[in-house]
Amino acid sequence: MSGLLEVDNLKVTIGGQDVVRDSSFAVDAGDTLGIVGESGSGKSMTALAVMGLLPRGARASGSVRFDGQELLGRTDRQLRALRGDAVSMIFQDPLSSLNPYYTVGLQIEETYLAHRGGKRAVARRLAVDALAEVGIPEPQERRRHFPHQFSGGQRQRIMIAMALICGPKLLIADEPTTALDVTVQAQVLKLLARLQAETGTGLLFISHDLAVISQIAHRVVVMRDGEQVEYATTEEAFCAPKHPYTRALLEAIPRIDEVS
Amino acid sequence: MTLLRAENLTKDYAVRSGNAMFGKKATFRAVDSISFEVAAGETLAIVGESGSGKSTTAKLIARLTEPSSGSFAIDGVDVTHARGAALARYRRDVQVVFQDPFSSLNPKHSVERIINAPLDYQGIKPEGGRRRFAQSLMEQVGLNPDHVLRYPAQFSGGQAQRIGIARALAVRPKLVICDEAVSALDVTVQAQIIELLRRLRSEFGLAYIFIAHDLAVVRSLADRVAVMNKGVIVEQGPCHDLFGDPQDPYTQALLAAIPRIDPEWDRRRRENAEELA
Repeated sequence: MSGLLEVDNLKVTIGGQDVVRDSSFAVDAGDTLGIVGESGSGKSMTALAVMGLLPRGARASGSVRFDGQELLGRTDRQLRALRGDAVSMIFQDPLSSLNPYYTVGLQIEETYLAHRGGKRAVARRLAVDALAEVGIPEPQERRRHFPHQFSGGQRQRIMIAMALICGPKLLIADEPTTALDVTVQAQVLKLLARLQAETGTGLLFISHDLAVISQIAHRVVVMRDGEQVEYATTEEAFCAPKHPYTRALLEAIPRIDEVS
Repeated sequence: MTLLRAENLTKDYAVRSGNAMFGKKATFRAVDSISFEVAAGETLAIVGESGSGKSTTAKLIARLTEPSSGSFAIDGVDVTHARGAALARYRRDVQVVFQDPFSSLNPKHSVERIINAPLDYQGIKPEGGRRRFAQSLMEQVGLNPDHVLRYPAQFSGGQAQRIGIARALAVRPKLVICDEAVSALDVTVQAQIIELLRRLRSEFGLAYIFIAHDLAVVRSLADRVAVMNKGVIVEQGPCHDLFGDPQDPYTQALLAAIPRIDPEWDRRRRENAEELA
């Protein structure tokens, strides 16, 4: 086993209640694992547990190994050094993840400097490159703009630029395209897939949308009420789902194409 | 038979360019001269992305905001600026179900009071009393009538949306405007509510204006579809034609962008399911 991220028997408890029970999965370099489930299924809690970002009062047990090292039980300080560097995360709502008082360029630079240090000028050049890479036009000019001056899709691109600035081994994306229009969603998914192919980053992609998961993930975890009910390659899960709940989910979603 | 006809509806909002306080006064045209018809018992879907004007259109038809120009009529009677009794009459014919059931149901009112609210507005006393009336509607939308004295917070999202639907049906409308009515729901719950809307449509001969951004949902419910982009209807037509052979470049781009499960995977899944059965 040489998984980049290995999660074994993960359990998350809040106020005596198990919100995640006995979840086990792995993400390899260059691999995309999709976690799919309805609201309250525990998919976001799983991601937060991996990042050590669980809300106050929540407790995680089991094992989360990243690059062979156990993450559960690490101090906040140790985890902070990891977050944004080797592991980074993007969320559903980019506007609430970006600081409205700072230009986007500065926020990307600061992320880099906090982990790698060095000269401001170097960080600035990298930030401009990163903005260009995620498809922000005129990055040299746009880096001086504030988050509200960008569209929703552009903000999510900026979040992706920031998440990738330190060249993370693992990117966790929690419903990254849920708030976006479909045409914008398609662009952002394409961008993520391209960047992943170029960098070999492992991707943990969380979504309620089975169609999105079917397109981006290599393997899938299906969660329901805190339980991992299915763990298979995407093709297996969609063509020959083992668990009745996975079958019910696939039956429930309306199809855009003519059903023959 | 045409139930509702909208002609050249336009809505301008006053905005300021640049600075919110000192910028130049300008107008933003949210809906730009759109025309459409809904026949009795028909479902017209209005689809588009954010900012397309689809929700403004819903608000205009629901008489929740005034159009800048244009008109619309129900059963041939112009109701664009109807007041008093004429407006009350219109509100009996046209009801709305909103996206977020919890913010559109008063948290301090019991289900009985919520479902009776449209009757109270109309000054109608239900036959058999308020409780019986609320309970029979609850049964029709698949809620347990014993819960008639409960409050919205005591229901799940899907159940709360059923309360919203029951309220819309209280005055026996001819047309129900569903403004993203299933968008906030989980897929399994969404499927149940779509099924309910279908059943109510055939039971009561309802027409729907179904506002949505999710084209897959629209395909499963609509007879006709109007696609909006930047305030304009770029294309409208029968559901089958529009999805099968879209003409407008924007419609084509929209359809192409929708995430899909490989139909081949669906086919294999169905085969596997048959083998299991």
